[in-house]
Parts: sequence; structure tokens; C-alpha cells
Amino acid sequence: MIGLFPLKDGDALTAVRSFLQTLLSNDVVDALYVPLESAEGQILPALVTDPARLESANPLAPVMLVNGARAISALTQKKAPARLGAVLRSCETRALVELVKLQQASLEDVLLIGVDCPGTYELADYQAIQKEALFALEDALQAAGRGEQLEGPDLRLACQMCTQPIPEQADIHLHIYGEGLAGGLFVEIGEELAEKLGLTPVLDYQVKKRQQVIEQVLGDKQKLREAEISALQARLGSNGSIAQMFAACLRCHNCMTACPICYCKTCLFRTAAFDHPPEHYLNAAYRKGAIRLLGDTLLFHLTRMNHMAASCVSCGMCSSACPVDIPVGLIFSTIGTQVQAAFGYTPGKDLQEPLPLVTFQANEWNEIGEVK
Amino acid sequence: MPDNNHFEPRIVAFLCNWCTYTGADLAGTSRLQYPPNVRIIRTMCSSSVDPVYVLKPLLDGADGVLIGGCHPGDCHYQTGNYKTRRRYVAMQEILRASGFDPRRVWLRWISASEGQKFADTITDMVASLKEMGPNPMQVAWAI
Ligand code: SF4
Ligand code: SF4
Ligand code: SF4
Ligand code: FES
Repeated sequence: MIGLFPLKDGDALTAVRSFLQTLLSNDVVDALYVPLESAEGQILPALVTDPARLESANPLAPVMLVNGARAISALTQKKAPARLGAVLRSCETRALVELVKLQQASLEDVLLIGVDCPGTYELADYQAIQKEALFALEDALQAAGRGEQLEGPDLRLACQMCTQPIPEQADIHLHIYGEGLAGGLFVEIGEELAEKLGLTPVLDYQVKKRQQVIEQVLGDKQKLREAEISALQARLGSNGSIAQMFAACLRCHNCMTACPICYCKTCLFRTAAFDHPPEHYLNAAYRKGAIRLLGDTLLFHLTRMNHMAASCVSCGMCSSACPVDIPVGLIFSTIGTQVQAAFGYTPGKDLQEPLPLVTFQANEWNEIGEVK
Repeated sequence: MPDNNHFEPRIVAFLCNWCTYTGADLAGTSRLQYPPNVRIIRTMCSSSVDPVYVLKPLLDGADGVLIGGCHPGDCHYQTGNYKTRRRYVAMQEILRASGFDPRRVWLRWISASEGQKFADTITDMVASLKEMGPNPMQVAWAI
């Protein structure tokens, strides 16, 4: 059902905060994962047990320091130690679904609180918006609800081209798109929970209005996504161009660290596996005439892609983490989408659908491995 | 056009211990003729060939990589080769999408008794790689 949580002082953020407080104080959850705003205005994901701390909760700020799926993985592993609420964006819930399938997280005893996502800014842009007071976040949010965006910096590229900003897995779903937030906070919620929280159903909910806004937003993003992907595909199609794209790579592995899917504690690229005896480098240089040192940069990216592209949720955290502005996320989303299409797989969609590289059927691709 | 007549492709082959490696051995003990362009690495199962082991020689300049495993249904670890097959599908997509020629990587099911099939596979692969010419990665240093 759809319930309405009243706005206090016409302010959406205050409403969200008090809504989250009711989850803790009505004992629906024991702890809540949600971004808090520090005294300096930084938006930092946190685990909250004291409802008073939620005075500074801010899950609506359009910035995302980490993909929260990683945090929920750390918090749950095989099973959450308490009833846990998690306020997440769509790309976070989708990554979380993949991590559950990879046996790195659990949804048992986890209440997913999804929020429509109007997109996020690069951290530096977010800070500039704050510092230079380009616009009030409340206004930006109201505009986003109507499917508009205020004048200012662009959203992160991943968000500009995000075609799944609406969380699908949520137990509780906070609507932003649609009627706007003027009339209150619309909450999609199960009846039992609604009763516990004292929410009454909204009878005249403007479903049409919401659908219209979503359709328009998705349409724009879809168009941009297709354009970005086909431009990149054209570039990648020419021999050696992927090497050029990664030429400036510092091998810092930030992209991997920021990626919610890359969970391996014993990643090959964090070991000495590619440390060779000195003669080895010299021999390689004799063979090729010259070699880059240290090398194996492209090897790192292509291997990572082979390991995880089927589960890439296009969150773009890798791009945001890259110090030299390599469009890692665009590259991984583009190639990832192709790999996913080969298996008819949509990451983050269905917990029951097995990971494409873990499952198999005896009768498939029968031509592979045989003489043509 | 490269002078493909004098070009001798170098192939790195990962062969599963139970089938293809034994098949290659049989080809040897039966004195079957096949081109000497292949360096063989024995693995326990085709599924233990992580993509990194295929990519490393390719990026270092090997002209081709062969993965050899038991026929579907015959894997000594039950289902390893079915997973190898899916991983191969993903790898082919990724190679193609990132501008590499996926025809440099072969997957073949060759049993312990198929010495001739192993010899034929190497012969075919050498011919096909000669046609393609040397791996452009042989001169790519900035990777
Ligand atoms: S990628 Fe999509 S869901 Fe994730 S932050 Fe951007 S707009 Fe939101
Ligand atoms: S590869 Fe990049 S875009 Fe894909 S899931 Fe990882 S961080 Fe997100
Ligand atoms: S974050 Fe950027 S520079 Fe660092 S390893 Fe990834 S691509 Fe290279
Ligand atoms: S043991 Fe030969 S493919 Fe698995």
C-alpha cells in the first residue's frame, strides 16, 4: 500500500528523518544503515542505533561516498547479527543482490529501505554546490520529483545514464518522483509494517503522475545511455584503443576497491603473482623491443572484467574513484552489458536467478569446443 | 600484409590432466606428426584455467591460446568443463568488445584417446593463426 508521512515545516528531509526514527523507536529494526551528515557537512554512511543520531541523517543528499552494498556485506556476512534496516539507492540494492548471490552478504533479517534516486554528483561538485550555495538541496529534490534538474554541475555520468533509479527490491520504498514532496512523503510499504508505524493508506495516490515523471526521466537517461555506449563501442572496436584508454592508469586499484562487486580478499593483483625475477622483465623487453614498467596494467583491467562484468550494476563508483579520470565505469558498463546480454542476465534483479558463470546447462553452446 | 609464410605462430596450450593432456601424450607416443608451435601447460581441469592465464600470454604476445578439456559430461570433476564453456563465452565477448580478435583463443574438447584429434587441432590452429598473422600485441609495449 501507499502511505503518507506528513512533512514537518514543509521539509522533506525532516520528514524522512522522523520516518526513520519511527523505525528505530517502534522497534521495527535494531540498527539502521543510513548516511549521516557530519558537522562539517560531509555525508558519511553510518550504522545508527540511537534514534537521536537520526537528527543528522541525510539519505537524500545527492552524493554517494561508497556503494552501500559493501557496508551491508560487512554487516551481515552470513547473517545479520540483529534486525537491520538499510537505506539504499537502487544501484546499492542491485549490487547487494549480486553480493548475496556471491555469498558475501545476507538479506535475512534485513529490511531494505529503498529511495527513488534522482542521481548523485561527484564529491567535488557536491562540495562546490554546498560551498557556493548554488542551490538549496531541498529545491533540487522538489525539482527532481517533477523530473527536472536545477542549473549547476552535471550529475555523475553513471547517474546521467542510469536507467534503473527506482529500487525494485525494497521492503519500504520512499517515493520522490511523482507528486513532488509538497504534500508529504509517500511511502510504499507492506500493510503489517504500515500498521506498526501508524501509516494510513492514501486513497487518491496519483499513480499516473508518478508514472509520467518516471517515464520521462527514464526516456532521457536511456537515450543518453545508448549514445554513450555506442560512442564507446565505436572507439573500442579499433585495435589497441582499450590500451590507449587505460594508458594513464596509475595501477592504484582504486576502481577495484570502490567496486561493490569486487570482493575477493585474496585478489591476484594484490599478491606477488606478477612480481617476476629481474631477468624476466629484460627478456620481455628483448622480445617486444620495449615494455612498460611496471606493466600488466591492461591485464589487471581485462581480468577484473572477466571476473565481474556479468554482475556490473553500472553504479560508476569505479569512475568516481579514478584519480586520472579514466571512464572505467563506462567501459565496464558497456562491456558488462554485452556479457550480460550473452547470458540473458540482468544483475541485481532476481535473487533466485543464478549467477551466469556459476551455473550452466548441459545442453547449451554445443558448437563450442567442437571442430567447425 | 605480414609475411605469413615465414611466420611461426606461438601457441600456449592449457590442457586438462585427465583428457587433453593425456590425448597430447598419446599423440606423442603414437608418433603422430603435428607442428612444434605449441607450449603445453598441464592443469588439473579446464575449469582451473582462470581467464588471467589466457590473457597474460595474449597480452605478452603469444599468437594463440588453446584450452583443452574433457568432452561435456566427461569432466573428472563432474561439471568443470560446463563452467569452462560459460567462462569462454564471456571471455570471447570481452575480447571482441575490447578490440581483440577472439579467434586467437580456442577451446577444444579432446579425450585421452583422441591423439589424432589433438594433432589435427594443433595443425588447424597453426594454419588459422598463420592466416591471421602475428598477434599485434607483440609490439604493443604501452600496456
Ligand atoms: S547510478 Fe543510478 S541509482 Fe546509482 S546513484 Fe546514480 S542514479 Fe542513483
Ligand atoms: S565495475 Fe564500476 S560500474 Fe560496475 S559495479 Fe563495479 S564500480 Fe559499479
Ligand atoms: S582507479 Fe584509475 S588509475 Fe587507479 S587502477 Fe583504476 S583505472 Fe587505473
Ligand atoms: S577434468 Fe578435464 S575438463 Fe575437467
